[in-house]
Order: sequence, then structure tokens, then C-alpha cells
Amino acid sequence: MRKFGIKVAVGLLAAAGVAIGGAQLLTANRKADTAASVDIHDRRLVEAGAYIARTGDCVACHSVPNGKPFAGGLAMQTPVGTIYSSNITPDKQAGIGNYSYADFKNAVQYGIRKDGTPLYPAMPYPSYAIMPDADVQALYAYFMSQVEPVSQASAASTIPWPLNMRWPMAWWQQLFAGKRQFAAPAGADEKLVRGAYLVEGPGHCGACHTPRGLAYQEQALSMADGDAFLSGAVIDGWRAKSLRGEAQGLQSWSAEDIGMFLKTGRTDKVAAFGAMADVVEHSTRYFTDGDIASIAAYLKRLPAVNGKLAAFPPKTDSTTAALRDGRYDSRGAVIYMEQCVVCHRADGQGMPRIFPALAGNSAVYAQNPQSIIQITLEGGKMPANDTDAMAFAMPGFKHLSNRDVTDVINFIRTAWTNQAPVIGDNDVAQIRDFLASKKPNIVAGGNHE
Amino acid sequence: MNKHIRIAAALAAALAAGGWMVASAAPDSASQTNAPAAAQPAQSGMQKTFAVVDKDGKRLPDYTIPSDTQIAREPNADQINYGKRLLNETRRLLPQNTGASMNCNSCHVQEGKKPMGAPYINTVNSFPQFNPRANRVVSLEDRINGCFMRSMNGKPLAKDSDEMKAMIAYMKWLAQDVPHGAKVQIENAWPIDTKLVGDPVRGKNLYAAQCASCHGANGEGKKDRAGDIVFPPLWGDESFNIGAGLARTYKAAAFIRNSMPMGVNTHGSWGEGGVLSDQDAVDVAEYFTHMPRPDFAGKEKDFPNGKKPKDARY
Repeated sequence: MRKFGIKVAVGLLAAAGVAIGGAQLLTANRKADTAASVDIHDRRLVEAGAYIARTGDCVACHSVPNGKPFAGGLAMQTPVGTIYSSNITPDKQAGIGNYSYADFKNAVQYGIRKDGTPLYPAMPYPSYAIMPDADVQALYAYFMSQVEPVSQASAASTIPWPLNMRWPMAWWQQLFAGKRQFAAPAGADEKLVRGAYLVEGPGHCGACHTPRGLAYQEQALSMADGDAFLSGAVIDGWRAKSLRGEAQGLQSWSAEDIGMFLKTGRTDKVAAFGAMADVVEHSTRYFTDGDIASIAAYLKRLPAVNGKLAAFPPKTDSTTAALRDGRYDSRGAVIYMEQCVVCHRADGQGMPRIFPALAGNSAVYAQNPQSIIQITLEGGKMPANDTDAMAFAMPGFKHLSNRDVTDVINFIRTAWTNQAPVIGDNDVAQIRDFLASKKPNIVAGGNHE
Repeated sequence: MNKHIRIAAALAAALAAGGWMVASAAPDSASQTNAPAAAQPAQSGMQKTFAVVDKDGKRLPDYTIPSDTQIAREPNADQINYGKRLLNETRRLLPQNTGASMNCNSCHVQEGKKPMGAPYINTVNSFPQFNPRANRVVSLEDRINGCFMRSMNGKPLAKDSDEMKAMIAYMKWLAQDVPHGAKVQIENAWPIDTKLVGDPVRGKNLYAAQCASCHGANGEGKKDRAGDIVFPPLWGDESFNIGAGLARTYKAAAFIRNSMPMGVNTHGSWGEGGVLSDQDAVDVAEYFTHMPRPDFAGKEKDFPNGKKPKDARY
């Protein structure tokens, strides 16, 4: 018996050795072998890099509100702990000041830190992997010469041992983030190719909008990679909507709507909120009109996800007349008239570019209700932009009971022409608990506990 | 790579990254279970509660702002609801009595439930009341008709009309069980310093930056697609007349200071405030109250004792 036990122990040790040793080997093999040197003072390169950093939306994750740009500290919640984005300013101790171009390329495109540690896929290196060398070099020049160094140490995650061991990530990378090249969609013109590249590559839209698999891998990194691409996912308690051409995706959005949304964070009907508000405020609003049009054209070309409803059947709006006639037929309708109607109106159409519509708003009738629950409880703020004088906000309604929130959301999801499944008050309770347990961001030098 | 190694590796990776998939999967699965409300104790709401003090300064049981869902319990629920609708949608439901494109609740924020948003909570219990403008004791019906003739630039309602009774029924319901003469400790408006001097030029710039998005570059207000008022006109033929309280600089400033601009914050009753200082509020009020607006026919009868406030428009 004892002999058997020893055998098992030796076997386990050997397996661990192979797993850990193999992981190190994988990382070593994965590293880019580039001797390229980049002139970080080349003005054109730096300017190009500044724009590429916008297309990659680096600042949104690597900064916190009221913090220094790129100094890190943004809290990303996982049930096993909170991880914090790192300092990517060129500070030599706290940031990436000592990174050679090869170190930088390895981190951005292959997820390997200078010391050989594999990065969590919260960093979208599987998407950045398709960026051409010239662009990564420009990005390097920008970060090294234009970003202000900040000596704020990157915070350790709160994930406990053994879950915080990094070496298994090398195996993860081997399986799910292989080196790959951008492949233009078949038959696409220049505009569509550019759109596809921005969406798949630097824009890393799939990081939030593509569902993740069992090992947190994006189920598809391009349309060629599988039908799950951009089909919608849940991240940080938000429902990142489907960007595909189905009823609950972008079917009802015109290319102009998409462009207007990326440029200003709102259309006459909808407004960006949650993480997407940051994306617009920090990145897409700075995109060239050509790039915006390319992304819109590409997204409009995406088909409905297999098996999903391509378009809603027609529905007559009987809600508007009922509310204006004083017929409040449900508890949810009473709460709507008390709490919501002042801004969102009896016809659910809101006020163009001021208050979003609730009727026909794809964030409202999404299959999954996380976003509408979170924004009802917490409120939300539109991104600032260069077109509208004011950025409007919605106040949070967490003082309402779970039943009230459930009733009013169910009213909104089925009123007017909306056709969405109803929710239960346990759905509201879950989002409320999730929000209550969120760890705060780290601001300049502060501790997270 | 053979299949077993692949599975083992995936498991190892899942160990480190697995938390993430739980994060994304958990709310997903939740939405598919529609447990009945009774299965989980519904978290109770946290409605705002205020102290109540009677006329001798004695503390009475606290007052909690009631939810409209409680109206249904009342024996006169239909009347209360009608009153609520009249206050919310005055212009549409009472076109004969309103000359202005205003609703009562354009100013009485959140159905008269918002602190510093001219709440109705103490209204029923404060009347009859001496009115310095009329220099006599006025009833609640008189006071409401004052609003119709001035703020709404319209005509009074018959005091015994169903409409008048319904509006008072709503206010009575809103006061809950607070006895006559007692006062809920809720402020009507921000206590603005009337010694501040308004600067209309600065006010004009502030208006353009903070108000025009909603109330229009020319103070014309905005209506929704159904033609209902969303943002009332702040001057011009469809605004309140010069006899309205809001036509007075400091009355307007006291309201604006804490209730405007709306919809710019994720906290507060309607996401209001935190934008304007006292001086800002006085400046912007000085600007828009003095823009052209309808005259008030009965103005000669106001302030018969001669104690006209310095910010009166006539």
C-alpha cells in the first residue's frame, strides 16, 4: 500500500514537472525573435502610434477614472478574485520603461511579460496578434516617447493560491492563442477589409462581444473561426450585445446608426453605457470617419447567428395609448409612470440625443437582461463627445426593491413593440449582489484592500 | 497533441482562468430560471424617510415618501390617480385652463416628491395660509388656481370641480397620515442668498452651456413625438407669465440650484445637480426670467400692502 502511495506521489510530481517545465518551454518557443530597433523619436511613427493606441483602446483598461493615463489599476472582477490592469507607462520600475521592442511585441501580441510570465487573457493579445509589425512598432514609439511615466506599481490580483499560478496560462496560450495572421474576408473590398481588421484586431470587439468557452477562450476570433464570433456575451455584469445581423443584434441598426454611435456614443434611439461608454469616450470618437464607416460596413455585413431570430415579427404598440389614457394595467406600468416616464416618455421613444428610447432599443430587448438590470440599479452616463454639448446620465434606482425593479423591467421589455422574455426578481438580486461585491479600482498608489 | 494532453492542459488553464468563465456564465444561467417572487425574499426598498414635527415642535412618527403602487389600496384610488395624471399631464388634459406649455409637475419635480424640487408633501397641511402677495388667507383651491393663472398662464378651475378635488386628493394621499399643522422636514428649495447680484451676460453663457440642450437655444422648450411637453418653454408666448413665482430671479434660482440641470448624474431623484453654484443659479435665473413672456392681467391687485419683493417682474 505504502509503495503504491509513493508511486502515486512520484507520478504526480513527474506530471507536475512535465506540466510546469513544458509550460516554460512553450513560453520560450512562443516569444518573438525580433532584433528590430524602433526610432521612438520618429514623429510620424509616434503620431501613427498614438492613433493605433486609440484603435486598440489601450487607455480604457489601463487607466481608472481620475487616474493618470495608462497607469493601470482598473479592477476586473472574477469570482475567484479581482485582477488589476497593469501600469504600461514608460516608468522604468513600475511600468514598461525597460522593455525592448521585442519585449513589447511579446507582451502585446503574445501575452508574455518581460520576465517570461504569461499574461491573463483579460489582455486581448489573441486579437492584437494579427497587427502588422509596422503598427506594433509605431505603438512602441508612442508609448515610449509620448506617454508620461507614472511610478505607480501594478497591483497584485486578489486571486488566492493555487488559482493564481501563472504557468498554466502557457498551456492556455498554446491551445487558444496561437500565432495567426489576419485573413481578409472573401470577396471583401478595401473598406470591408479595413473594417474586418479593426474589429478583429486592434479594436478587439470580440473580447467583450464574443462568448467565452470553458477555459475563458473566445469561442471564435473571426467569422472564419466560427459562428460564435461577436454573437454577444456577458462581461462584468454587462450584456455585451450581439453585433450580428439578427433581431436582438444589429439588425435594426443602419450603418449610419453604427457610425453615429461609435463617433458620439448615441443615436436618436440609444446611448452607450457601461464599458462601451468608455470605449467611445476614449477611443472610437477619435477614429477617422473612414475607419468608422469601414467598421459600420463590416458589422452590417455580418449575418444572423445560426438559429437566432433574424427579425422580430411585427407587433402593434398598444402601450402608448394605454399610458396616455391613464390605463396602467400592471404594477410595472404604475412604477414606469412614477419613475421613468418623465425622461423615457409614454411612447417609450425618449428624447433624441438626450434620453434614450426604451421602445425598440436593442439594449432593452436583449435576450439576457444583465445590462438593463445593472443600468436600472446603478444608472449610467453617456460618453462625452465632440457633437453634443452635454453628456446625460441616468440616476440609479437601487433604492427600489427587487420586486419593483423586476416589475418595471418586465413592463419595459414587453411594452410598445418590444418582445423580450420576462425576468425574475432573483435575476435582479444576483446583479445587486454582484455590484455589492465589486472591488474598487486602484487610484494612484492606493492599496486595494 | 493527443486528446488527453489537450484535456489536461485545458483543465490546468481553466484552473487559472476558470473564474472568468464562471463570471460570464453565472448571470447567463440566472436569466433562464424564472423563480416565482416568493422563492426569494424580495429586498425591501429604501424609500426616503423624513422627520415630522408638529406646530409645537414635538417630534411625530417619521414620514416615508409613498410609492405610487400604494395608491391602489386607497378607497378613492381612481380619484387619486386622476389627480396624479392632471398634475403630470396638465397641458394635455386641461387645455382650457392652461395657456402655457407647462405641466404642474414641470416644476413640482417627480410628482411633488423630490426634496428641493417644490414638493407637495406639506401642501395639504399648510393651507389655509396667509399669502403676502394677496395679503389675505387663501385656501388650497385658491393657491392651485393661482398656479393656473400665473405659472400656467391660464384660467382657474371651479373650486368644486372633479379636477380640483382629484388634485387635492393626490396631495392628501401624498401627505399620508401627517396631521394638519405638522410639517414633514423636507425643504421646498435651496435657500438661495438673495444678496447675490445676478449677471445676465454670464447667465446667458451658462444657459447656452447647461440649459439650451433641453430647453432650446431660444427658450422654446421641447416636446416629445406625441406632442407632450418634456422640457417647458422658459420664455416666449408659451411660457409662464410675469406673475409666476418662477418669473422672480431668486425664486427661480432657488429651484434651479438643486434641481437643474436634470439627467447629468447617476445619483439624485432625477440625476440632477452638482453643476451650478449659487452664483451660477442666480445668474442664469436673472437671464431667463427677464426674457419676454406673457403679461399677467391681475398684477395690479398683487401686494396691496406695498411690500413688493425686489425681484418681482412688475
